[in-house]
Amino acid sequence: MLSSRGDIIEIVGVSKSYVSEGREIKVLEDISFSVGKEFISIIGPSGCGKSTLLRIIAGVEKPDSGRVIFHLSRKPIIGFVFQFPTLLPWMTVLDNVILPLIASGVQKSRAIEKARTTLKIVGLSEFEDFYPSELSGGMKQRVNIARALAVEPDILLMDEPFSNLDPLTAESLRGEVLDIWLSSILPIKSIIMVTHNVEEAVLMSDRVIILSPRPARVLKIVDIMVPRPRTRKMPEVQELVDKVYEYVS
Amino acid sequence: MVPFKLILELILSTLLSLGRMFTAYVLSLIIAVVTGVAMAKNKYIESILLPILDILQSIPILGFFPAVLAIFITILGPVTGGEISSIFLIVTSQVWNMIFGVYSSIKSLDPSIDQLISVYKLPLIYRLLYIYIPASRSSLAANSIISWAGGWFFLTSAEVISMGRIEYRLKGLGSFIISAFENRDTVAYTIGLLTLFIIILVSYLIIWNPFTMRYTGVKTLLGFMRIYGVIEKAFARIWSLIIEKLIMAYSVIRGKIIVIQLYFLIPPILLYLYHTKLTLMTNNLYSEITKYGVEFLWALPLTLIRVYSTVIVGLVLSILLAYISHTRFKLGVLIVMLGEILSSIPAMMWWPILLPILRGFPYGVMMFVYLQGSLWYTFFNILLFGVSSLKENILELSKIYGIRGRYYLLRVFIPSLLPSILAGGLSASGGAWNASIAAEYFQVGGFIVDMGGVGSLLYKQTLAGNILGVLLTSFLMSLVIIFINKTIWARVLKKISGYYVIE
Repeated sequence: MLSSRGDIIEIVGVSKSYVSEGREIKVLEDISFSVGKEFISIIGPSGCGKSTLLRIIAGVEKPDSGRVIFHLSRKPIIGFVFQFPTLLPWMTVLDNVILPLIASGVQKSRAIEKARTTLKIVGLSEFEDFYPSELSGGMKQRVNIARALAVEPDILLMDEPFSNLDPLTAESLRGEVLDIWLSSILPIKSIIMVTHNVEEAVLMSDRVIILSPRPARVLKIVDIMVPRPRTRKMPEVQELVDKVYEYVS
Repeated sequence: MVPFKLILELILSTLLSLGRMFTAYVLSLIIAVVTGVAMAKNKYIESILLPILDILQSIPILGFFPAVLAIFITILGPVTGGEISSIFLIVTSQVWNMIFGVYSSIKSLDPSIDQLISVYKLPLIYRLLYIYIPASRSSLAANSIISWAGGWFFLTSAEVISMGRIEYRLKGLGSFIISAFENRDTVAYTIGLLTLFIIILVSYLIIWNPFTMRYTGVKTLLGFMRIYGVIEKAFARIWSLIIEKLIMAYSVIRGKIIVIQLYFLIPPILLYLYHTKLTLMTNNLYSEITKYGVEFLWALPLTLIRVYSTVIVGLVLSILLAYISHTRFKLGVLIVMLGEILSSIPAMMWWPILLPILRGFPYGVMMFVYLQGSLWYTFFNILLFGVSSLKENILELSKIYGIRGRYYLLRVFIPSLLPSILAGGLSASGGAWNASIAAEYFQVGGFIVDMGGVGSLLYKQTLAGNILGVLLTSFLMSLVIIFINKTIWARVLKKISGYYVIE
């Protein structure tokens, strides 16, 4: 286990079912793990309930049983990077980024200041007056990330953030997210990323939580103790990728 | 020389009519947004309001109008009451398709936006101002063209209101023209009609057409973008001021917002209860109901045939015009502009033109009025929104493989337009039912033509001030419309869309 842990989030016995066409489908079954000051990836076959788990942590959905406990002195601030950019097409880049801030009662001038800071971090300073339709796929996803960072989150949740990008754009965005995380320019305490890309999980995170097919249970938690920067070619990385693959398949 | 006094009168009348139109339009906008959002976001409200609106948009508003008028005038006096009733009537001719427009654009909003709302806990006022209203913008633009025409169409009926033997006239362009016609004042009549044409034309050219072109993919419209730009800028300034004030008000009453969505339905309902109670007390209810029921059943087949043949004629005509405007762009622009003007000409304005034909060929005149009340729904839906949403890749495919002529029309063109054909067809049948009351019974000067049918029945009951009759007949008619919409129409739609709609 990593020494810098000291739990920030505790997920205790979380279960969740859906009713679809009269039949009950169990999605999550007794999921428990804790998250410290670290970068965690949740990996598992598609449709296993990873995104549901993320939404439960975000407080958007309620679990049928179990709890999510935050060990923070105040209500946690959550930043959420959606799988698709989810930008409002009638608003400029800047307006899209300030929307959650304004809605939570931050003054407009202060919100703009914060938004400009994070747009600079993701390299979109010059595009704040652009509309989403004028941006490339990668740039839209950057706005999505800037919006999540602008709320100065304690916890950053990412739902397959790189899965809909071309490989080159995905690669450079991964690097940028890691840089932001490692440089500690923002007060993010933990990152939880849902992905189905094993390499991405091993290259980016401190631990990988592997879920089973539906209903999802925690199959295995793999510590990634490889020092950063990591590359695909490092033998330890390859070994870990193989190890995670074994559990996933 | 046109007398100065007449010009002054005309200007005043025009301003008053425009004032009514814009007031009604703004009211319709507010009702459409509140109701559409509430329906799209709340399953309970949706399940109650959707069928109610379905009926409301199909029943002949003109038939209900005297009852509404009576209450407003009794409560508020003839001036205010008359004014409010006329605005109410214009609203009822504009609002339904706008509500459905808002409802469907919010329903079809990307589900990830719901996630965004819940993750960042956006309060209702922010959702409305920043998400739901802007998301409905393009469908509101598209529907405004139809609604604006609908408003003008009813304008004269809203300004010259007769109830039994009493007639109320509000000063306005509609009543100006009608009075001029009745007084055989050719000069006043001509300049009145001319003003009406110009106002309709200008309002399309500088507002509705550019508005629609900017926010939808429609290209086949004429419009002055530059003048519109200035209008939009002014409007944007007002809108951002409204947003600012609303947000400020919200931060004061944070979390205490109550949405009032059903209130606009209450006055008409109360009204009917009030009136029917009066009538019921003086009548033998059971025999009355049987009497009206039998009358209705006798009249029904005639109207059924007329309504649905109108819809079919309207569909065929719209598809043919759409095909012409699709193959010849410039001609298409002209056809749409002509359609905008023709659809806006108030119902009563047609009489002077049609009167000579009426005596020899009343059946043709009746079908003309039917078409005027129904055709435009299919026309605008198919010509504007259907044609401009044709998929580029399918057109390209047809070009590459040389698919042309009849085969292209039947196998590519019509199937591609099906969503708008279906949507337009449903509204058009509502419009045709609604038109039946004006189409089946006319009274111009001392000359009366009675074509029979449910519309004629309703009109005669209205003239006689027979509220119970109007109520029962409309109720039975609503039942028939719901039955047809829910059984035959819904099934046909489902079957066709399953086969043909291109994803």
